Amino acid sequence: MSIKLSYKMIKAIKHSHSLWLTLSLFLACQSHLHAEESTISAIKTTPINITNKTENLAVKNIIDRANLASYYAGEDGSAEARMIIVDENGNRQMRQFTILRKDVQDLGDQTMLVFFSKPSNVKDTVFRVEKQLQSDDNRWLFLPALDLVKRISAGDKRTSFVGSHFYYEDVSGRNPNEDNFSLDSEDGSTYTITASPKDPQSVEFNHYVVTIDKQNSLPIETTYYDHNDRAIRKMTVLQVQEIDGIATVVKSRITNLNNNSYTEMQFRNVKYNLGLPDSIFSERSMRTPPKAWLD
Amino acid sequence: MIFVSLNVSANSESANNANNDNWADEWADEPPASPWQVTGFIEAAHGQFLQANVSQKSTSLSEVRARVNIDYSHELFDATGKLDSYYDHVLAKTIFQTRELSLSASPFSFVDIKAGRQVLTWGTGDYLFLNDLFAKDWQSFFSGRADEYLKAPSNSVRTNWFYKAVSFSLVWTPEFTSDNYINGERFSFYSPQVQQIIAPANGFSVEKNHKSQWSARLKTQLNNVEVALYGYQGYWPTPQGTKPSGLSSQVSSQYQSYFPKLNVWGVSATAPFKGGIFNAEYASYNSTEDNQGTNDMIANGQHRLLIGYERELAKNLTASMQYYLERTKHYQALKANSQTPDQRVAENRHLLTLRLHYRALRQTLTYSMFAFYSPSDKDGYLKPSINYQYNDQWLFSTGANVFFGRNDFSFFGQLENNTNAWLSARYQY
Repeated sequence: MSIKLSYKMIKAIKHSHSLWLTLSLFLACQSHLHAEESTISAIKTTPINITNKTENLAVKNIIDRANLASYYAGEDGSAEARMIIVDENGNRQMRQFTILRKDVQDLGDQTMLVFFSKPSNVKDTVFRVEKQLQSDDNRWLFLPALDLVKRISAGDKRTSFVGSHFYYEDVSGRNPNEDNFSLDSEDGSTYTITASPKDPQSVEFNHYVVTIDKQNSLPIETTYYDHNDRAIRKMTVLQVQEIDGIATVVKSRITNLNNNSYTEMQFRNVKYNLGLPDSIFSERSMRTPPKAWLD
Repeated sequence: MIFVSLNVSANSESANNANNDNWADEWADEPPASPWQVTGFIEAAHGQFLQANVSQKSTSLSEVRARVNIDYSHELFDATGKLDSYYDHVLAKTIFQTRELSLSASPFSFVDIKAGRQVLTWGTGDYLFLNDLFAKDWQSFFSGRADEYLKAPSNSVRTNWFYKAVSFSLVWTPEFTSDNYINGERFSFYSPQVQQIIAPANGFSVEKNHKSQWSARLKTQLNNVEVALYGYQGYWPTPQGTKPSGLSSQVSSQYQSYFPKLNVWGVSATAPFKGGIFNAEYASYNSTEDNQGTNDMIANGQHRLLIGYERELAKNLTASMQYYLERTKHYQALKANSQTPDQRVAENRHLLTLRLHYRALRQTLTYSMFAFYSPSDKDGYLKPSINYQYNDQWLFSTGANVFFGRNDFSFFGQLENNTNAWLSARYQY
């Protein structure tokens, strides 16, 4: 079993090598990086060559590509996800949901539906987001027991997503304009980049260090440090698969290093470029889930 | 074995991973989901009055409840059943309640239909209802049952029509469904007829109404603003009218409550504003059996206005405030024709609400406070609660319903002696 898995992963990474410029991951929920829309054409057409660029621009491009790979794979996508949430005492909770996503523009706005199926107390609850880079996200929640569609305020993006160790920002991406980046090191297969928040008051960390896979541009590990340079939180990619030619994180974990509690997230049945119509990202789908796209 | 290989790719993150093995790879092998799904819960709840009450009961809530939710999903339709059965110790009887028994389908690309017993909600208020005249269960709300039970089911046909960004909803309820209002069987209330707080053990006589009611909503989004128009044709959801019982030709001192006709139209808007959500709603209540407001036995028409704002104050702490106005339409006529003018609600009944909601322990522990205060009625209602989701199965809750007021006849003041505290444990499956 272990041999088979490892082989699959190696194969996936090899295949994704030639595709890193245009292809990216469905909602990997691992990187915390964004990019400005205006840079997108440059990213797609200009190979990165650090020796020929200023370092800043090179770092920016790495970050943009990571962001693209993590959050903007294909034009749209669907996936089943589950989370296991393990607290410091080893108590477990589970969340299972299906996600539909459509990009308005690569590295720009996105729209998304999250249909919860487990546990039973959240079954049929639906979360809808319109992610907007230029303003607060729009969010709605459908509560089936009350037949209520409630518009909810955007809120702090560094709060727990459905009670897990993943923050909203981990799920939807952290705006890169909020951080300064510097390239720490580079080896044959990875870049290591340190990011410092421009507004330290806005976040719970002092800085974070992200390791990005050169071949598929996916951030494979991110560690957050406090003001005493102590590691407090860590995101780790546990498994990457190639799906429709797109390197996709299908398993990852976020650990609270203060008490070793963690959440692990898995994806399955990941699909890209389904041609999801704009019209399904609406209140109607919250009450009446679009079955055709959820199988 | 599995996690060893995963950890190779995962930069040797191995701490605390051992008990994770069973999560590694088996998910993909799950059999296809069955079209049938059965979920539900078992719950025990107890509530206690915190003072003597004319109802002469000490318990406000005492029940063991079993819920079964059955869903069947077909390519062409969905069927849902939500069945409650519970022993209610306060009423000393076993009750079966169908909260939902419905069929949903989309016969055309532009229409969704849901027919059968169902819970219906719309409007923008938080615990305040203007254009939402679907049935509510105030007894559940005031006794500390879960919020879900504030909405009572009705047998209705709902059709939702869609054209581009516009949706039109039409709900037909063939048989008028009233609120489960305060009637004395659980909570005491003020009777204007006898001018005191009463709690008739078997409720009070209310004329049944089998006529139909209609509700409609037209909704769209203009830029970031959601706007809606509403209409309602039916009856007051609580028995706001009194008329002589028996044959009208006889002079009788016997009176009976009933549900007078009511037509409502209204509008609402919701929009993001300064990091929060702003909402406004208006409804015009036309009490058509008393158009001039001269009949003391039938509720007057009202203008209802709501303005609300919700935003996150700090991480995991959300606050929302509402201002609500209930303006009596023909106040002078009401006053002139009232037998007890000094007990009448003010022409403008103002109400302020504040909700504070704090989530701790990764959202498993929530503290909530909802406060109503009316400066015009000089009364209020506090609804604090704590919920602890111990794991995916067990939910423990406790809270209180605290009513206060200067006068026995005001909206919340009459409920003062119904102040209660409750706790519940729920096992979800």
